[in-house]
Amino acid sequence: MAPAGVSPEAGANEQEVPDHELIKACQKGDTRAFESLVTRHRGKVYAMVQNMIKNEADAWDLSQEVFLKVWKALPKFEARAKFSTWLYRITHNVVYDWLRKRKIDSAGELDDGVLNQSDIAAGSRTSPSVSARPDQALANSELGERIHSALATLNAEHRETILLREVQGFDYKEIAKVMNCSLGTVMSRLYYARKKLQSLLSDEKRND
Amino acid sequence: MKKETTEELLMKWVDAKLSSDEETQLATLMEEDLGLKDELLAMKTLSESVRTKVPASVEPPYSDFFNSQLMRKVDLEIKSQHPAKKVERWWQSLRWAWAPVGALALVLSFFAGHRVSQPSHGELSKRSAVVGDSLLPTVYFAGEALEAEVISDAEGGVSVIVVNGLSAIRDDIDFATVTTDTPHLPRTYRSSEARRFQ
Repeated sequence: MAPAGVSPEAGANEQEVPDHELIKACQKGDTRAFESLVTRHRGKVYAMVQNMIKNEADAWDLSQEVFLKVWKALPKFEARAKFSTWLYRITHNVVYDWLRKRKIDSAGELDDGVLNQSDIAAGSRTSPSVSARPDQALANSELGERIHSALATLNAEHRETILLREVQGFDYKEIAKVMNCSLGTVMSRLYYARKKLQSLLSDEKRND
Repeated sequence: MKKETTEELLMKWVDAKLSSDEETQLATLMEEDLGLKDELLAMKTLSESVRTKVPASVEPPYSDFFNSQLMRKVDLEIKSQHPAKKVERWWQSLRWAWAPVGALALVLSFFAGHRVSQPSHGELSKRSAVVGDSLLPTVYFAGEALEAEVISDAEGGVSVIVVNGLSAIRDDIDFATVTTDTPHLPRTYRSSEARRFQ
């Protein structure tokens, strides 16, 4: 019965409670257990959304929407599925709904049109954040920022595939479940995303 | 080899997921294309760079506020699903009795209405007596040659009873004070009354 009394600030103790126990408690209506689950996963969801849409304020709002949808859908969640896959599937839906809405609002293109750097600056910040020390910033900025810039140039599907595989460490089947596509499509997207990323970074290097 | 299969082999090599059979297939491809291995190595290096340079988890700004805001929304969601129960009044607890009480009230009002619509005997006599502004006798007494005939039509479901030999009694006669000397009494009534008081 540990999850019922789990405090989101419980620190190390909270980490010991496995996801499935927290989920069971949430399914019984325990909001404290849900807050623990949120605290545990919010960073990954926020990072994923932020990398997908490149806008901090919208990423913040969309992450809230993801977790609210998770709360609503939790009673239907079956333990057979992996929670992280399910969570990213909801994140995927929320992000793509937002992209679609944005496409309708701006009457632009969904893929490269909406997400390329000319529309959204990769480093755009809409809420305050802590800057790195100048020496660290210099060290990290070069390759790191080039990678971020190159990722921002990819279309949504390619970018998501790369993020799920390289950053979140999902296997091919999990990526297929999250993106609701076939394994073959995942392999193909991964191949072309990696090729394009490679090409973008080598072009940039050449230009330097 | 199919394009999709080649792409799959290449990606599996980058991710170190090749089976031994697939490794053999890829080795054949690499022999055919000498630049392939370099390309794949570059891809592998890039993958590692992405892994190290793009963080898997970034705390949202104002993370405490993130939680409190979200939990407020969750509370609203819970409230919208389970609206607060209304305070039940004492008479609402007797809801089960509403139907029988209603039915009883209906029956009582039916009988009350029925009684109200039924005139008293005197009124009936008066009402039925007035036809075309002429006073008709409505109370009869058996005459000396009383006869009754029933004509029945089974097919039509109608029966007519014809009674002959009735003597009309005027309805202005008050039977409470009637005596054998009262005028306008039928003769048969007078004789029967006389027999009763003998």
